[in-house]
Parts: sequence; C-alpha cells; structure tokens
Amino acid sequence: MSRLYDTVEPAVIDEEMLQKAVEEQGPRDEAGRIAKQEGIDFADVLSLRLDFKNILKIDNLWRFTSLTKLQMDNNIIEKIEGMDALVNLVWLDLSFNNIEVIEGLDKLTKIRDLTLYNNKISCIENMDALVDLHVLSVGNNELDQLENLIYLRRFKQLKTLNLSGNPFCDDPNFKHYVIAYLPTLQFLDYRLIDENTRAAANEQYTYPIQQLEHNEEQARKRIEDQEAKEAEFNLHKGAYVENLNGSALFDSMFADDTEGPKLALLPGVDELLTGYKDKYTAICQQIFEYGLKEHQRRGDEVSGFQTAVDEAKEDNRNMGMRKINDFNEYRRKMFAELAQSSDQGHIDTSLEQHNKEIDKLWDSLMALEMQLVDQLEDTIKEFERNMADMVSTFVENVQALISQCRDLENTHNEKLLEVAIVTLEKMVKNELDDELPDDVRMLFVDKDTITNAVGASHDLHLLKIDNKEDDIITRANNWLAALMERVHNEEEVKRNRLRVSEINNFIDHLREEVETFEIQAA
Amino acid sequence: MDENAENNGEQVNNKAEDTEENEGELSVDDLRAELEKIDIEVPEVEISEVNIQQEDAYAEFPVSYKENTNKEKLILAYAENFRRQYVHLYRDRKPLFLNPVNECGIEKFVSTTIRPTLLPFQELYSYDNCAEFVADYLEFQALDPPVDLPNQLVSPTTALKSQKGNSFDFGTLLCSMLLGAGYDAYCVSGYATREICLMDQTRDVCPLMKKKGELKSEEKKKEMRKYQVKPPKDLRSKFDLKMQARKEAEEEAKAAERRKEEEARISEMEKPKPDALHGLRIHCWVLVLSGKREVPDSFFLEPLTGNTYPTEDDKFLGIESVWNHQNYWVNMQDCSNGCKDLSFDLGDSAKWEYLLHSSEKPSLEIPDVEAELYEGLDDDEEEQEDDKHLEMPPSWVHPILVTPKEYETRCPLGKKTILYKKARLEKFARYLLKDGMITKLSVYDDYELKNLVSVKEWFVNRQDKLELRVHNHRTGLITEYKLQGRLDCMKEHTYKSGSPGPETDRAMVFYDKARVDGLVKREETPTEMTEHFKDRDDFLYYRHVVFSKRMKRFGASTDANHRPILKISERFHRNKEKSAGEDVSERVFHIAEDRIQLTFHCEDNRVTASTREFIKPPNANDKSQTITMTPDMTSTFQVDTTKKSPKNLYIYNMLVSLVEAEDQSIQAIRGSEEEIKECLLERIREETVSELSISVYDTERNEKAKQHRKELERQQLEEKLRRQEQELDYLAPFLAQMGDPDKIARQQAFKLKEDCLADLKQRLIDKANLIQSRFEKETQELQKRQQWYQQNQVSMTKEDEEEYLAYCSEAMFRIHILELRLNRHKEMAPHKYMALEQKIRTDGRLSDYF
Repeated sequence: MSRLYDTVEPAVIDEEMLQKAVEEQGPRDEAGRIAKQEGIDFADVLSLRLDFKNILKIDNLWRFTSLTKLQMDNNIIEKIEGMDALVNLVWLDLSFNNIEVIEGLDKLTKIRDLTLYNNKISCIENMDALVDLHVLSVGNNELDQLENLIYLRRFKQLKTLNLSGNPFCDDPNFKHYVIAYLPTLQFLDYRLIDENTRAAANEQYTYPIQQLEHNEEQARKRIEDQEAKEAEFNLHKGAYVENLNGSALFDSMFADDTEGPKLALLPGVDELLTGYKDKYTAICQQIFEYGLKEHQRRGDEVSGFQTAVDEAKEDNRNMGMRKINDFNEYRRKMFAELAQSSDQGHIDTSLEQHNKEIDKLWDSLMALEMQLVDQLEDTIKEFERNMADMVSTFVENVQALISQCRDLENTHNEKLLEVAIVTLEKMVKNELDDELPDDVRMLFVDKDTITNAVGASHDLHLLKIDNKEDDIITRANNWLAALMERVHNEEEVKRNRLRVSEINNFIDHLREEVETFEIQAA
Repeated sequence: MDENAENNGEQVNNKAEDTEENEGELSVDDLRAELEKIDIEVPEVEISEVNIQQEDAYAEFPVSYKENTNKEKLILAYAENFRRQYVHLYRDRKPLFLNPVNECGIEKFVSTTIRPTLLPFQELYSYDNCAEFVADYLEFQALDPPVDLPNQLVSPTTALKSQKGNSFDFGTLLCSMLLGAGYDAYCVSGYATREICLMDQTRDVCPLMKKKGELKSEEKKKEMRKYQVKPPKDLRSKFDLKMQARKEAEEEAKAAERRKEEEARISEMEKPKPDALHGLRIHCWVLVLSGKREVPDSFFLEPLTGNTYPTEDDKFLGIESVWNHQNYWVNMQDCSNGCKDLSFDLGDSAKWEYLLHSSEKPSLEIPDVEAELYEGLDDDEEEQEDDKHLEMPPSWVHPILVTPKEYETRCPLGKKTILYKKARLEKFARYLLKDGMITKLSVYDDYELKNLVSVKEWFVNRQDKLELRVHNHRTGLITEYKLQGRLDCMKEHTYKSGSPGPETDRAMVFYDKARVDGLVKREETPTEMTEHFKDRDDFLYYRHVVFSKRMKRFGASTDANHRPILKISERFHRNKEKSAGEDVSERVFHIAEDRIQLTFHCEDNRVTASTREFIKPPNANDKSQTITMTPDMTSTFQVDTTKKSPKNLYIYNMLVSLVEAEDQSIQAIRGSEEEIKECLLERIREETVSELSISVYDTERNEKAKQHRKELERQQLEEKLRRQEQELDYLAPFLAQMGDPDKIARQQAFKLKEDCLADLKQRLIDKANLIQSRFEKETQELQKRQQWYQQNQVSMTKEDEEEYLAYCSEAMFRIHILELRLNRHKEMAPHKYMALEQKIRTDGRLSDYF
C-alpha cells in the first residue's frame, strides 16, 4: 500500500467530524431517532471509529471519557498523543499509520488489545502502564532487535502477539526466542503455539532464561522488601513515633551541632557520650513502643465505635424499610381495590385514608430518624470523650518520657561543662598531655568561650528535643480534631440531611401519585 | 435321694478340690475315674425328649457338641461344686444358670457356649448393628414357664441355623459377636418386666419416630462492646406492662396445668396392666462394660429388640449372674431396687462372687494374706499356686458362620413386623419386594392401630433413586425424597395423592448444584407457580407466575394450548457491579395489562428504592416492527433528586431489553411447565417399571456378570470336551475288528492301514455324492419352477411373481453355495487322504512297519 501522503491534504479531528462519526456509528432506527432528538453526549460514547480519514494528529478526543474502543487505523498519524483523557480505553487500533515511537500511553491502564500493525516502530518501549495487555500486534514494523522483546515479559496477561513482517523475523532463532522468552504466549503470528515447539524453544534457551528469571526474582524481592519497609515506616508515622526505634533522634541532635564533635574530643567525654547515648536511645525506644501500643488502641477504639454506629444505622434502616414495605403493600392493595370500584364515595374515603396513611408513614419514618440521631449523638459524645482522654494521656506520657530525655541532656551538659572546665584548668596549667586539634584548642582561650560553646551545643540539643515533642503532640491533636470533624460531619450532619430529604422526597412522590390518580378519576 | 445327691456332690466337691490341688500329679486315667461319678448325675436332667426330637439332626453335629473333653468335665464338676456351696450358703436364692444341656443333650458350662466371633461384615463391627442383626435374624420364642430358667441352651450356630431361640439363645449369640468385635460384653441372667421378656414394644415409641435431639441453637453470645447505641426509650406504661405480664403468666400456668393433666391422663392410659409375675420373669440380656472399644459408660443391650438401655433403667429388675467366655460371676448385691444401685466392678469380690479365680480380670488390689504367706516359701510353690487356677476350657461351639446371602435376608423369610405404640414397623430384605422397599412405618393415632395417620416407606437400590416416600393420610400429601443422581436432579416432590397430574398443588425441591439453571424449589398451585433459584449468573432468585383459566379453543390448533399468563414477578439479588439505582431488584410483568414495573435496589444508606413503570407499546411483541416510544409511556420515582434523570435513549434501550426479557421469561415458564409434565410422565413410568439397580459387586444378582461367568464355565466345559474328542483314537474301530490285539503284526498293520484309508475314501466319496445329489435336486427344482413361471407368466398376480423371484434368487444362492462346496471338497479330498496316510505312517503303533 503506497500512498502519496504529500499530495493529500491531512484532515483534522474537529467537532464536525466527531459529530458525524458518532451519529453514523450510534444507535439505529427508533433508538437512533431518539438519540438524534436529544443529542448524543460524547462522554457517553463507548466506541468510536475514525478510519480512512487521513488524520495526521490525534486531537480533540478529551470529551470521550468513557470510550472503550477506538479505531484510528489507516490514517497518517505520526505521533501517539492527546489520549490521556481516554482512561477507560480497552481496545485501541492504530494500525496502518506512520508512528515511529510508542509513547503517550501512560494513562491507558485498562488497555487489553493494542494494534500498531504496519507502522514505523523500531523499538518496543513506554508501555509500562498497560498492565492488563492481552493482545499486541506490532507486525510490519521496523523492529530489528530480538533482545527488545524481553521488554514484553512484564505483561503477565499477554496471550497473543503478532510480530510478522519485522526485520528480525528473518533471524532463524526468531520463533524459538519469542516462545522461550514469553512463556504466557498462546498465539504467535496468528498461530497457536504447539507444545513441541514450546518444548524445543525452552530447551534451546534454558540457561539464559534461568539467569533472567533469577534476576527478575531478585528485583521483585528487592521491591517487596522496599514496600514492606515503607509500610512499616508508614505505620510508625501513623503512630507519630517514626525514627524513634534507634538512635536517629540522638544522631540528629549532633548532626547540626558544630561544637559537639569538637567537645567530644576532650578527654573523658568519649565515655560520657557512650553512656549518654545508651540511656537516651533506651528512652526513645520506650516512646516508640508506647506510641505503637497507643496507636493500636486508638485503632481498636475507632473501629469499635464504627461498628457500633454501622450496626445502629443498619438496624434503623431495616426498620425503615420494613415500614415502607408495609406501606407499599397496603397501597398496592388499595389501588387494586380502587381500580375495581366505581363508587365515587368509596374512592374518596379510600383516598382520604390513604393520605392519612402517608402522614403516618412520614411520622414514623421521621421518628425513626430522630431516634437514630439521638442515639448517634450520645454515642459520638462518648466516643469523643474517650478519644480525647486517650490522646491527652498519650501526649502526657510522651511528654514525661521526653522530659526524661531533657533531664539526660541536662545532666550530660553539666558533666560536659565540668570536663571542659577541668580541661581548661589543665590547659591553663599546661598539664594537658593529649594533643588536641587547633580548632578545639581555640575554644579554650578563656572560660567564656568554652562555656558558650558547651551552652550552644546544649541549646541546640534541647531545641531538637522540643521540636520532636511538638511534632508528636501537634500531629496527635490534629488527627483527633480531623477525626472528630469527620465523624460529626458524616455521621450526624450529612447522613441526617440525606435521610430527611429522602423521606420527604418519597412522601412527596406518594402524594403526587395520589393527586394524579384523583385527577384521572375525576 | 436329695441327701444322697448332696453327699455325692460333697464328695465330688472334695474330689474336685483334690484335682485342683494335685493336678500336676494326677494322670488322665485317674482323673477320668474320678470324674465318672459326676457323669452319673447328668441323666437326671430331663432331656430325653429333646434328644429324640433332633434324632436325625443329631448325627450332623460335630463331636465337640456331643462329648465333653476332660477340661470341660473338670469345669462342669467345679461349677457343680460351686452351685452346691452356693445353694448351701444362700438357701433362699434362686438357682444359678450354670450347666444347661446343649442341643445334643450334653451338659455344657454356659461360658463355653459363648464363641467370640467377628463376622466379616463391616456393619457388624459396632454394637448397635450387631444387636439389630441378632434381633432381626432370630425369631423369638418365649420362655415357658416364664419364671424358670430354661433347661437347654443351644449353641449360637444351632440358633442361627434354626433362626429361633429364647432370650438366652439371643443373649449368647449377641455376646459372642460383641466379644468378637472387641467389646467387653457379658451375658446377664436376671429378671425384667413383662414387656421386655415378651418382646412387647407396643408401649414404646418407635425409634424411627423419635425426633432427633433438637440441635441446641448455640446462642450467639453478643460480644459486649464498648460502644453500643442506647435502645430507644420505652414509652409504654410500666404498670400496664406489669399487669399484662401477670395475666400472661396466669394463662401460661393454666395451660401448663392442663398440659400436665393431659400428660398424666395419657400416661395413665398407657400404663401396662399389673403383672402377677412382676419381678419373677426370667430374662437374659447383654451387659457391655465401659473401657474397651471406647465405650464411655456401661450399658445394657436388649437382644430381643436390639435396643440399648442405661444400666439404671427400671425395666431391668434384677441380676442373678453374669458371664462371658472366660468367667462367671454371681451378683451379691441387693436388687430390691432394680439395677439402679448396682456396681459393675466385677473385680470387687464382695459384690460379685467369681467362679474361677482368674488373674486376667481386673480385681481390686486387696493384699492377699495367703499370697503373702506363700511368699515366704520357695518359688516353686508359688508357680504351682499359679497353675492351680482352673482355666476356662475353649468353647465347644464351632465358629459362627453367616453367609452374605443370609446376612442380607436377615429376618426369617426376609420379613419382620414389629408393633410399637401407635405404629407398625415392617422390615423387608433387600430385593425381596419388587419395588425395593425395605422398611415401612405406618403411624396410627390410636392404640388399636386402626386409624392410619401416615405411612413412611424406605427404599433402596431403586433405579429412580427414590429413597423415602411419606404419605400423610390426614392431609393427603405424598412426599417423595430422592437421592442425588437423577437426570432431573429432583430431591423432594410433594403432591396430593388425589391429583397427581400437572397444574395442581405440588412442591418440588431440587439439587440446585446439579442443575444448570440453579433451581432450588418449584411450588405449584392450580393458578400459580413459584420458583426459587440460587447462585445464578443473572442474580435471579425468585419467580412467581399467576395464570388465568385456560381459554377454550375450537378447531384444530397447532401449538399446545397454554394457560395464559397474567403476571410474572421476578426478584434479583444485588449485582455489585452496577450502581444500586440501575440494578433491578424486582420486575413485574403485568402481561394482561401490558404494564412493566421495575423496582431497583436500595442504596446502602437509603430506605427507599427507585421505581420505574412502563406501559408496553401496542406493537411490542411484533418482531418485525420496531418499538416506538413516547415519553408518556414511562413514569418513574427517583430516590436521588440530585442526580439528573437518565437520557431517553437509555430508557428506550431499557424498554427494548425488557420486552425481550418478558419473552424470555415466558419461554422459561413454558419450559418449566413442560418440565413438570415430563417429570410426572417419567414418574409414572418409573413407578410402573420400578427397576432395581444392582451393584457391579453384587455377584449374586448381577445378571450380566452371572451370565458372563456361566458363559466362561460353559466354554471351559466345551474346551474340555473337545480335548477329549481330539484324544479319540481313529484306529480304535479297526483295531476292535481285529479283536484289539496287544501287538500288531506286520500283516495286520498293512491291513489296518488299508482299511483305514479305504474307509476314509469311502466317506469322502459319500460326501461328494451327497453334495452332488443335493446340487442336482436344487437345479431340477429351479428348472421346474422356471418352466412353470413361463407357462403361467401371463395370469400371475404381482405377489406370486414377487414370490417366484424371491425363490429364484434364493435357489440360485443355494446352488451356488453347493457348487462351491463341491469344488472345495474335490480339492480337499486328496489332501485329507494324504494327511491320514501320513498320520498312519507316523503312528506310534504302526511306525515299526512303515
């Protein structure tokens, strides 16, 4: 098929073309008439065919958000683009175009069937988003690297593949290579892969595939580990105690401290630091464990509350539905009776009775709703109280533990100061044996300098501790506030509004029906 | 005489003790001499008539039945001694059942009559099946008189053979089987009520009618949770409630009172008449002690009925003695209170007096003074002490044998009827009845069994998988329960006995897993049909159809005259893939009114459901025309007012699909009607045929296998005959002509050869002539017919002509065959001749000369 593209004016996907295509391909006959009458919304169209239209650029498709099937074969498209809105696409046909690079498919995660037959593609790539790919056709392209096919191993659902007409098909190993490296394949180049060929192919490539599988397995494991770690970290974060199960906080205290490392070089400070670190880390660990435990308790509390609320709602709903069902039964009988009767007096009394019944139904439904509101209000209040207690206890305990840290820091500071003074004195007396670096020596010019240095270090440490404390407390409180906000909003306000409007809507409907009946009867 | 006997007994006693002590020293002869005295006593028991009665059978009994071994004699003597001491010590107690005579009139010790046997049937490994088997297999004969011990105790083998016996025969057989199966079982001789002794169950509720212990519904303990919404306030008056509760309580009490009175009245009515012989009637049953075979508690097994009773049951009034195949114990406890307070610790010698001191039995560890005394002496003595214990001799009874056929037939003649309270139970052997019935239980509501309430019939091996049929005579309903494996997957079928045809009241339950359409239940009344489904892909679970009266049609109608459908309602489960507002929960086709009503599912947090109603366009059912729709054809109620109403196209498509769905539903209903009709026809056919299926493993009844086996046997026989024929001597007639000489001379040999060959030649020629003559005859006949045909050709009817033609072709065929045979014969004759000559040449008897 050779076409002189240059001589033909490329078409543009415009409103007119789309409208025409949609109408042509839309419903027929009576359905077509109705559709035409009220107009077809592009967002409702499920399938669209734009073939042999000489389209150069994919554009203006963003309104077709529920499209599942798109046919754009036999055009002169050069670039896959403008399809990010078509997230529901399952079937995409771009065969017989001039595409050179696979791209722009990152949003199309639901694609199962992709046809890129007869294009100018030289590399299979950029398809990681297509996790559900079943059928892929890239025949008659310019693929020449067999190794490139390993890319397709990531598609676990890939059953059918068409590669014929590519340069690498001339390779004598082509078929075996494909079959061996893509074990999920069932059809290759329009043919069922028979067991013998598969066995032969597997034999030929046993070793490289084993190697490959091993590598893949390891990569998978790495990712899993990473995910597990991340999940754990997120859990800790949820409990507000991340990085407290080790010396991270301690280390961070010294990270920004310029004076600390210098002071650490003083004689005797080394042991001092080790002891300090051990004690400090122990307290951090305590906070960490306490935090996790509290987190668990809070979770239990919330789920207990949620189940109670859900149950109450379910019970209430069932009661309401029973009432409505009873009423419907009554109404059905009444109308059946009325249909038989022609006595106007009888009809009138019946309708009156019916109206009374409607009022009664409204009363009882609203009573149920009010009852539920009361019940929920009490429960939510209790829950709120408990949660507030829990969080404040948590905060207090964390504060107590952290103040232990602060005490440790203070003690440490005092000792350090002592050591520093002693060292200073020694230095003054020139009794110091150890060689100290010059910048450390610089601190010992006089008592103020060294005191300032130690003090600065101390302040920095305290700041870090304070920050951590603030962080934990704010987050805990914020969480509580958000939770209660949500509970109040969802369980009380929104739910209640919805139910009341629903009841009223239903009652209105019932009344309306009676009225229409009356009009008809009259 | 008595005194004499006692003296004699005393002597024997001493002797027996002697033997016991000096057994090692005594020779057999001495022993025999000693024991001869005991034997003298035997004839005193009146057994002669028994002997005479079974005179001819007597010869058939094995030796062990007719004689006593030395050991047995010893034990008999020992037992006699025991009896004497017992009588002496307990003068007011009844005699013990120790040494009855057997079917051959020989005195045997009761323990040796028990022969522990495990029968090769899987079912007989458990005690209840054993008891049932014994109860079914033997026919009961009451003791006469009921207050005396029987004189005779036949062996279990004889009891099985004659299929009858008294309670002691029952007990011995059952005890043998239970011991064989590993139970710790004992025969019990004692006293029981009249009902037990005479196997009168008319006051018992039939075990098949007893309701299975109602499963205690486990009260789901509601977890006490921290959060619980408060129940709504109770606004009723407390006082009113209290008054009402009081009133209810009063009524309850009254009702309870009435019930109690009623119960008392019934129990008074059902009370057995006073029995003059209460407490004196002798009976034998089986005691199973806990311990072995994981029996948790000791219990009684009543061999006549196969029922089990707890040991405290008040129907058993007292125990004299118990025994198994190893020992014999006499009860020393007071039985004035029935068996309630009895201890069954047989090792406790204060409560149970044993006959043999056996170390095997569990005994209370009471330090034996004597043993301690002996301990001081040397070891030899102690060994002797051990040897001194007399052992129970092995059973004289031959192993109990029950053939599979006998096991299957069970009851004598394969039938048995038991009367229960207000019920009659009939049991039949498998394959005895043509319709495969094995059990039939008729329930009455009066004690005279006159007013039939219901009949239950159990079947086995039915080809149509019918298992149970319950006919309730009160309501006239018949329910049939069927096993899995039928083509229509039916499980239960309930219908009125008066009107088994289609379109009447019935209910069918199906095995829904086996059915493609997941149908669970189909109920029918004359104008309605309800179907329940389960696990369907389209979420349908309920379909209800209302029919109207069939219209009378005149003239020839091509299709079946269906009842017109008025209304179809179908209900669906929630399909989670759709949103609740689009997922139909109920759709009703008002076919008569051309209306379709839809009710959608409720959303999770809603109490009301959206509805939609269509009025079907007039041409909807015409396939050739497209459905046109106008907006006034549909009305709706939307729960969610914020959602915009769906497009007309969507509604139109819905209508189209509903019209289609209506068609499909009607199709399905017609299919169901058809299926019911087919089911009923099939049932009638099955009832009339009532074939029984036969397992491939059933060698007795499987006709095919039997034929195959017979065929094999026949083939073997034929093979044998042929071989015999082959071995026939072809020279025999010719040798006979010569007078069967021992040695054949040369001359004779030649003559023999010539005769033989000449004979064959003659036979070959005869045969050729025979074929030739037949051939000619056929040809002539044919020619004759041909001539006849040519002459009469004109005046012939068509049939004659056809007949002639048929004859011709047949005749030609026959002629052809004869020709072939003749040619073949001519060809083969020289070969046969040569073959015989060769055979004669190589014959062992003549080979010397050729």
